[in-house]
Amino acid sequence: MNQAIGHVWRIARLTFLEAVRQRFFNFLILLAVALVGSSYFFRQFNFGASELRFIADFGLGGIFLFGSILSVVAAAQLFFSEIENRTALTILAKPVRRWSFIAGKFLGVALLMFVFIALLTTLLGLCLWWRERQLIVQWGDQFPLSEHVRYWALAFDGLLQWLKFDVLVAVTILIASFANTNLYTVIVSFFVQLICQLQYIANDRWSGIKAAWARPLVWLLGKVFPNFQLFSIGDLAIFPQKVPIPHTALLAAAGYAAIYIVVFLALAVFSFSQREI
Amino acid sequence: MSVPAIRVTNLTKDFRLGVRGIKLRAVEDLSLEVADNQVCGLLGPNGSGKSTTMKVILGLLEPTRGHCEIFGLPSASVAARRLVGFLPESPYFYRFLTGRELVEFYAGICGVPNNGRWRRVDEVLELVGLTAAANRRVGTYSKGMLQRVGLAQAVVHDPRLVILDEPTAGVDPVGSLAIADLILELKRRGKTVLLCSHLLAQVEGVCDYIVILNQGKLVAEGRVRDLLRREGLTNLAVENFSPAARPDIEAVLARHGARLAGVDDARVSLDRLFVEKISPPPADPPAPTEGGAP
Repeated sequence: MNQAIGHVWRIARLTFLEAVRQRFFNFLILLAVALVGSSYFFRQFNFGASELRFIADFGLGGIFLFGSILSVVAAAQLFFSEIENRTALTILAKPVRRWSFIAGKFLGVALLMFVFIALLTTLLGLCLWWRERQLIVQWGDQFPLSEHVRYWALAFDGLLQWLKFDVLVAVTILIASFANTNLYTVIVSFFVQLICQLQYIANDRWSGIKAAWARPLVWLLGKVFPNFQLFSIGDLAIFPQKVPIPHTALLAAAGYAAIYIVVFLALAVFSFSQREI
Repeated sequence: MSVPAIRVTNLTKDFRLGVRGIKLRAVEDLSLEVADNQVCGLLGPNGSGKSTTMKVILGLLEPTRGHCEIFGLPSASVAARRLVGFLPESPYFYRFLTGRELVEFYAGICGVPNNGRWRRVDEVLELVGLTAAANRRVGTYSKGMLQRVGLAQAVVHDPRLVILDEPTAGVDPVGSLAIADLILELKRRGKTVLLCSHLLAQVEGVCDYIVILNQGKLVAEGRVRDLLRREGLTNLAVENFSPAARPDIEAVLARHGARLAGVDDARVSLDRLFVEKISPPPADPPAPTEGGAP
């Protein structure tokens, strides 16, 4: 067992290293950094919201957009490169179990996503802190408390986003485990992400559905696809007057994500074990 | 009697193609044994089932029927794969790693202990002649260097069985000879080698035993010298042969009930000739300088 865990860690490290040394991913991360960093300069287009709120929304939007692209493309690319370059053949001819391979790939991309989220959340925090200092100097005591940024909530939101992207990575690896092309994996994964983002609608409508055949179907869809809106509660807490968040929210979200990740990866292992490389 | 390195028993492998699941039989009822410390050549035209057989031996494919063992262990088991080193055909390793990092990665995967792992990595890189390029990225390696780093990763954990799929594909004759020498060195160290190659001259040069497949079936197997021997004919190598001596030689042979079947010049292989011609001449001793100072 120890050796299998060692294999997972070595494959994860290699996957992470591959991503870090690829120009495409570095470019994507730099683009995301530029977008989040530029939120400070776009604050005049705030559509009536306060400046700090606009910076936060703009930055979180950037993290969501580039995080979604990075999780899907990185998971698909780093998985398929092993198949297309036949490096999977060399690894699996060694004493490596297929579940170790899948788990290693997942962990490597999850590590990449952690670095991505940590980098962008820190950058967004710095942008907010810088502008907040300027506003406090400018307005003094008149600067309303309700506009003060809660940085712990920003970090909390970062963790939730990371969990959400990890679920998306697991979905992508599941699709890649049976798909024949990288492009198919990327397109289907983005569709699944869209469904997961809008899944709450199915949950909301379920109680109101009258047709007997549709109720179990909608219920099933609500269970099969994770509800990504559950990971969006963090951004509500960044400013004080918004809805308070229960202390157990992070734990609950982590548990929710862990269940989906384990199930998706178990299905990926089953599918990959049937695959002839 | 020792356990054979590879034992394949009644192996049949079918692939299902397309959505209708049309069956393609890649290997049919194949049985073979490769003895320990033997160099065995697996030969056959394209599509003869060589790669499929190799993948089943490596535990990468499930047989439809039959089974395969490596040193008595089921080939799909992790324990069996610890005993095997594998070089795939046209290997594309992680281009972003250096040769040394790559071999270290596989050493770790194969359970080479931390203590002394880097030393072992350097040893195998030296064995395959890649010490000078060890710290270069694999992406910058030539085809021959890729094959050599592939060999290094295949033997880094000191496996008892080494499986080589087209190890000299795309490699120049000098590189091919180096790989052939390496295979012989592995045999000298007590390893078993299963070699899949289309270069028949090379197979003949390094293999003790060959297995020939065609359309998924075994068509011939045996020791190389037995299979290639022409019944009733023996070669004599004669130095300074003079055609004038021929009648006398024929008379001597006739007295012993033998007959001279032909006279031909002895030849070296084209590979050897090529290597001899392009090898740099031995360096001349440095000319003495005035006063004897270097």
